[in-house]
Amino acid sequence: MRYDSITEAIGNTPLVRIDPAVHGLRNIDLYAKLEMLNPFGSVKDRPAWHMARPHLEAAADGDGTVVELSSGNTAKALALLAGMHGARFKSVTNRMRVPEIKELLLLLGAEIEELPGRSECLDPTDTDDPLTHFHRALSDPGSTYLHTDQYFNPRNVEAHAEGTGPEIVKDLDGRVPDWFVACVGTAGSSTGVARVLREHDPRVRVLGLVAHKSDFIPGIRTIDEVHQVGLFDPATYDTIESVTSDEAIDGMITLIRRCGMLSGPTGGAAYQGAVRQLRYADAELDGTGQRRTAVFIVCDRAESYLSYVRQRRPQLLGRTGRGHSASAVTNAEARAEARVIDVDDARRWSAEGDPRPLVVDLRSPHAYAALHIEGSVNIVDEVFEDLLRGGLPFSKRTPVLLACPVGEKSLRYAAVLSRMGHPDVRSLAGGIVAWRDAGAPLVRE
Amino acid sequence: MDVPLYLRPRVDPPLASLLTDRPFLHSLVDALGSPLNVLLPEAVAENAARFRAVYRRHHLTGRAYFAHKANRSSALLRRLAAEDPATVGVDVASTEELRHALGCGFTGDRIMATGPKDAAFLWLAARVGATVNLDSPGELERLSGLVRAHGLGRVAVLVRLSGFEHATGHGGAGTRLLSRRSRFGTPVRDSEALLSALERNADAVEFVGAAYHMDTTGVEEKARALEQCVLFMDECRARGLAPRALDIGGGFGVGYVAEAEEWERWTTALTEAVLGVRPPLTWRGHGYGLRNEGGTVRGAAALYPAYRPTAGPGYLDELLSLPAPVLGRPPATLLLEHLHDLYIEPGRSLVDQCGLSLARVLDVRPADMDAGQYLVRLAMNAGDMSLEEHGVLVDPVLLPRGEAASGDGEPVGVYLTGNLCLEGDLLTRRLVFLPRLPRAGDLLAFANTAGYAMDFHAHHAQRQPVARTVAVERRDDSWRWCPDEDYWPITPLGGAIG
Repeated sequence: MRYDSITEAIGNTPLVRIDPAVHGLRNIDLYAKLEMLNPFGSVKDRPAWHMARPHLEAAADGDGTVVELSSGNTAKALALLAGMHGARFKSVTNRMRVPEIKELLLLLGAEIEELPGRSECLDPTDTDDPLTHFHRALSDPGSTYLHTDQYFNPRNVEAHAEGTGPEIVKDLDGRVPDWFVACVGTAGSSTGVARVLREHDPRVRVLGLVAHKSDFIPGIRTIDEVHQVGLFDPATYDTIESVTSDEAIDGMITLIRRCGMLSGPTGGAAYQGAVRQLRYADAELDGTGQRRTAVFIVCDRAESYLSYVRQRRPQLLGRTGRGHSASAVTNAEARAEARVIDVDDARRWSAEGDPRPLVVDLRSPHAYAALHIEGSVNIVDEVFEDLLRGGLPFSKRTPVLLACPVGEKSLRYAAVLSRMGHPDVRSLAGGIVAWRDAGAPLVRE
Repeated sequence: MDVPLYLRPRVDPPLASLLTDRPFLHSLVDALGSPLNVLLPEAVAENAARFRAVYRRHHLTGRAYFAHKANRSSALLRRLAAEDPATVGVDVASTEELRHALGCGFTGDRIMATGPKDAAFLWLAARVGATVNLDSPGELERLSGLVRAHGLGRVAVLVRLSGFEHATGHGGAGTRLLSRRSRFGTPVRDSEALLSALERNADAVEFVGAAYHMDTTGVEEKARALEQCVLFMDECRARGLAPRALDIGGGFGVGYVAEAEEWERWTTALTEAVLGVRPPLTWRGHGYGLRNEGGTVRGAAALYPAYRPTAGPGYLDELLSLPAPVLGRPPATLLLEHLHDLYIEPGRSLVDQCGLSLARVLDVRPADMDAGQYLVRLAMNAGDMSLEEHGVLVDPVLLPRGEAASGDGEPVGVYLTGNLCLEGDLLTRRLVFLPRLPRAGDLLAFANTAGYAMDFHAHHAQRQPVARTVAVERRDDSWRWCPDEDYWPITPLGGAIG
């Protein structure tokens, strides 16, 4: 395989059978179309290239900006494609809800505009919504925006009708699967693939999966949101079912841990939704001696969704603690084990102590820079926590006065330092707030 | 008829128990007329305590300022005036509101003057020692002029900032969080002029801190604004000023609808009705801002998100816990570390569950016999109870007149119309489902109207009676009431004991 450009590596993704021992279906062969193996990591590589190619080739002087309403994989692919062609990429979105994807897009050189939240007080005269601004800017005659318009652009569907669909038929030796299962985002892949499969054999059944209305699965729209998509036609699907984020993560874990497929939650949702639906059909086939085939799409990869998983299923990412940690100290333990000192005594101690204590301010550098106790050093709590894992960061001969905003965090750290064998560490009672309230000096240097 | 699409209201005690006392509510309307507003002053104190608990959890100090415009009641204001002065204040937006707050027991130092202000309002605020929330450098100059001309003491001022998305310098590269443009406040990019005006007028005004108020439910936008204000106040400190409070406004929201599922089913049905795949569920097919363009839904639903899993104190807690975009620390930590007090202005959410509006059913007639829909005319109009005007969709509670009437009958879809001779006077443009068809003489109770929906739009058009307002309180096994203007938080309602 030798290519002249990364874009040639788009498509021709493998169709891999899921071990029946995993899904438990006795009469149905279930295949995963591994779109995550596209070069930019997702099923969106195909439509992104198909939609952007005419724009980018027309604007060969590299002066334009590709814009798209996308918070995920389309943006990722378009940002890379724009970069390759000397153009810029701007994503306008309702919110980047997955931080890794946002950061990845920034790394790729994308510009991101996030739309405001809903209005709290209704203003019927509101004509100022950013989406209107967006479309107004696009239609401006002097605009150099290249709008790929994935929710309405027929080339989005075409990319799958010419690529994804025929590839599935070819890999099934010219046959069409009995079921095709896809999550609905822009409706591009489900519509394009369904069209091709039906042309080959109208008996194919198409299952569209949407996110449960109150839930969030990256890349899938809810049942209401699909109606805002120009490419969405209910007639494409024999069935539309909803899946939850819980099911998506369950599916994702199965694909990863048991099938070796590093799928993201969208692929997990497709797998879980497929198995849930096919179970009934499978039971009906028992004893008939017939075999059936089903295909679902694994849209993208797991790596970008770690914070999504951490938020919803933290136990999957559980880390065991090591070393000393303030979070391992209970409030009662901190009160019992830590020494405190009030503001007046602390002022005397820091002025007259022999040796004088090292004053450690645990607040953020920014707050420290604004105002602090003269002569104190700033070690922000997060860093301090890391330091303690390695061992005692001060000489036992140096007394230490710990200060935080109200004396709560410093109390925990004082307890930990005492446990680690420091003989004279004290926590400033009431913290910097008490220090200020007592009229003690705070400086800005 | 389809399955009834209910949007039943969220009612907690004591509002829930008030709603079960039908004879009491009927007797109130019999005596005082329809429409009638009923308030629970004790509930507002409960809400203030819930906000205080969030402050405590984050070790923060500062005040919750009740936005007076949310409700003009005396009882609510007097009850709040009885709360701890260090934690509860009032935010007034007109001279009359300021006079009312003073008359209800708020001393000047617990009052914040906000909104568009004329000279009389500025002078009275300055005279009584209120904090003035300044909209612009121009207003600062006018205030300072008044202070000097009339020999007043230095006035505490907050400066209201806006336009945070244009702030430069600290923003993450490549990301711009858009916000609705506001006509209030001074854009952050013009803060230099504001700072020099503060320094120039330091003899007349004492700079207390910064403020923002954003019309959004988006927590991220607010966290960003909060952080920009903290950075702004650092800049002020660097110039020798000594700000100590940050006012983050309100907009913490109220959950009106009890069940997520009902809200989701209804909003999905609205989309389907707009697409024409199911019968309309609104008067004349109104789409609440959604429209059908060639089979695709366009536009945004102009609806208040009436089911909210987190609102009020919970929302504040969430905002304070969210990592801020530039410095990475949660807003609560930023405030605490920078030694700032937190001011909030919860209007709607401070009076959550604090009242209801009652209306008598005057007439019931068929609207569409085939669909089994009715028009129910109430002795009330859309000005008296303006949930609909605020985009809040929630069902009223039917309080039948007769004893036995509550359980029988079939669910029915009705449009609620008002007492004005206007086609547009609908209390709901939405088909409202009630557990049975009401009869003339029954009452409908609209729950949770104390925030903006009770008398915000009330008027004397066509000389229909404007609602009277009463305060109620549960004592032993029964409810006591008094006119709103007669309520004082020092004696139990219905007469002092001992």
